Amino acid sequence: MSLKIGMIFNGVWSHYAFAKATKYRDLYELIYVHDLSQEMLDKVDALVIPFQSNHKAIAKKKELIYAFLKSGKKMFVEGDSSANWLDATWEDRPVNNYWWVKDPNNPPVSETDYNHPIYQGLKPRHAFWHYHGVYTKVPDHASIIQKNIDGDIVSWETNHYGGTLFATTLDPIVEHGVQQITHLDNYCDKLTDWLVGVKPEGRFEILHEDYGVSA
Amino acid sequence: MPLKAVIISNGIEGLEQLYRSNEEIHYDIVEVDENFNPNLDPYDILIAPNGTDHIALYRIKEKILQFLDQGKTLFCFDGWFTNWVPGNRWVMDNSKKTIDVRYKIQEDPFGLSRHFSVDDLTFSHGISGWWSCGFIEPAENASVLIEDTWGRALVVIDDTTTNGTMILSASGPLADVSYGTTDDNKAYQAMTDLYKAILQFVQTSKVETA
Repeated sequence: MSLKIGMIFNGVWSHYAFAKATKYRDLYELIYVHDLSQEMLDKVDALVIPFQSNHKAIAKKKELIYAFLKSGKKMFVEGDSSANWLDATWEDRPVNNYWWVKDPNNPPVSETDYNHPIYQGLKPRHAFWHYHGVYTKVPDHASIIQKNIDGDIVSWETNHYGGTLFATTLDPIVEHGVQQITHLDNYCDKLTDWLVGVKPEGRFEILHEDYGVSA
Repeated sequence: MPLKAVIISNGIEGLEQLYRSNEEIHYDIVEVDENFNPNLDPYDILIAPNGTDHIALYRIKEKILQFLDQGKTLFCFDGWFTNWVPGNRWVMDNSKKTIDVRYKIQEDPFGLSRHFSVDDLTFSHGISGWWSCGFIEPAENASVLIEDTWGRALVVIDDTTTNGTMILSASGPLADVSYGTTDDNKAYQAMTDLYKAILQFVQTSKVETA
């Protein structure tokens, strides 16, 4: 049986579009946050929590999340809010969506650890597009993976909780679902490979019949 | 009397900053939780903002239909991948390049286009296709206010499918204040002008109905 990545989602369409795209649909399993249960988590091998998640709802079930990590599995969090279930402090920052028009050779991230498996082989513009806020405080046991030009933390990782927790203020899943940034196959494929050891293949195809559905 | 609107919150950061109560409209926010079953009776307008939980709204779709059949108004400014908006369907699509997207007025029986610039809405910092995603397959007699380069509906006003009025965008955010999706002054102005025009239309319709 192939490995599955659970995507905790709160009914947001970009999460759905990503998980239903032909390229990813056999690898990602949508888990509606208000129905989240131990039984659902038992069926998946890794977890992602995308940008625009309902962190209040997640916080109510943080014991399930940390138990999942404790079992040695991986989790990728696109932290976009004051998620009080993470041992970190997040602050909002203006979003620069247009640096690639004004100054395409200078992405506003200053430091990236390209030794990390997600980032190995990525070009700088594939490793960064924009970020939603920064982490002003992370746990002492965290490794810093990316910083912005002001030295604020964008991505960090820790193995402290049993498995591996990777948190970032990048939003690859949401933006790939939105399909307005055309190079995100690079990041999302590396991410998927890191999570479950499978490199997705094919095009990001959207099926008309997946829309206007019953839930 | 100001309009009374209820905004369905998905617990996403920043929503409370975007809608500002004033003399024309009073907003309440209701958050989705595991027991989501809001009382819609006190409200004139139900707002599903950008980032809405379309599983939660599907689960109360009968209540939303009843709300509309009382002559009330639905705003959905998001991509409703579930079938909870009566008669109208939103479809995600990536077959067109965003660089080719232009917004155009298709039909405007209510005169809304006098109040905003559709050309200013098209570009943010010179980038087109930033505001909307996918397209709407509108109900048979709905009015298409804005369409894209290929004639696909992006903003729909439907006052025929139910007894109420639905004003729908193909995931184009609309609010009193920018969603942070643009800090381009012209694009921002166009978004807020369109939203004000919609509110004015609803207010006028309410007075005419009363």
